[in-house]
Amino acid sequence: MGVIKGVLKEELNNSLRMKQSYEKELAKIPRGTIVKKKVKGHEYCYLLTRERGKVKFAYKGKLSVSEISKYKRAKEYRSKYRKLLSQVKKQIRFLKGTLRGKESI
Amino acid sequence: MEKSQYDLCLRLLGRLARQGILNNVILIGSWCLLFYKEYFTGVYFPPSIRTRDIDFLVTLPSKIKNKVNLSDLLKDLGFVPEFVGPKGYLRLTHPELIVEFLVPERGRGSDKPYPLPQLSLNAQPLRYLDFLAQNVIEISVAGLRVKLPHPVAFALHKLIISGRRAKQEKADKDRDQALALLHFVIKHDKPAKIKAIFGSMPKKWQKKINEVLTKLDEEDILAVLS
Repeated sequence: MGVIKGVLKEELNNSLRMKQSYEKELAKIPRGTIVKKKVKGHEYCYLLTRERGKVKFAYKGKLSVSEISKYKRAKEYRSKYRKLLSQVKKQIRFLKGTLRGKESI
Repeated sequence: MEKSQYDLCLRLLGRLARQGILNNVILIGSWCLLFYKEYFTGVYFPPSIRTRDIDFLVTLPSKIKNKVNLSDLLKDLGFVPEFVGPKGYLRLTHPELIVEFLVPERGRGSDKPYPLPQLSLNAQPLRYLDFLAQNVIEISVAGLRVKLPHPVAFALHKLIISGRRAKQEKADKDRDQALALLHFVIKHDKPAKIKAIFGSMPKKWQKKINEVLTKLDEEDILAVLS
């Protein structure tokens, strides 16, 4: 039993550290999504963000393809990291629950 | 084991192979136990408990020629960098796997990480790893050639390091894995190999192993060694 408990404890510590790492990486990713609006036949870019539940548009003007793809990549990574973070949180709940037993962890 | 974890492992190995890294590193740690089933052909090798850590040993001097930023290489798979310990050696983490690079510790030793500029990371130096690098086998995993320590070397190494573990559970895990592997080799493989690899070890290490086995009353294994 000691070996299994030791492995679970080690994995819990790993998951707790992992949670911090994903939160840190998520904080590094620029916020918002680029949306294009057509005004009088011309396309302009806006950065769409949410602040306290409200949607905000910040004018960005005409962005280069590389800048647009930078935001697109950021969005992809944000979504990926959020999914993985949620997986880590589930692992933490599971490991804490499994280890709890009769003694405190 | 979850399929997603195994698939991620294969994707990781595939990327390392494409960059010319895999043929210059040795997969060590408890993940070896999973791959030994490819080595023990014809007999069922039971899986063993293991953590998510997948460790790669880089022999020194490193033979890795290509310069690859490993964090960038694995970023789209969802791996994020994590600095561990006060000196900050780097490992790449994912909910399914934790990738670490290790190098053999030599001389007086140091707690400083060992820089591997070819991979844009630093590795953790650990004792006795040269012994694993001296006894290597090669197996095929999903069409990839993977280097592993010989199962006997793996087991004897585990017995030595079990005495150095700070945590009792880890020491017990090392011993359990080592003994299971050695008993398996005695029963199904070539027991003579145990004696040969044991004989190649420094006398001091042999003494340590004998002490551990005597303490555990492992007469079958001691008989093979004598």
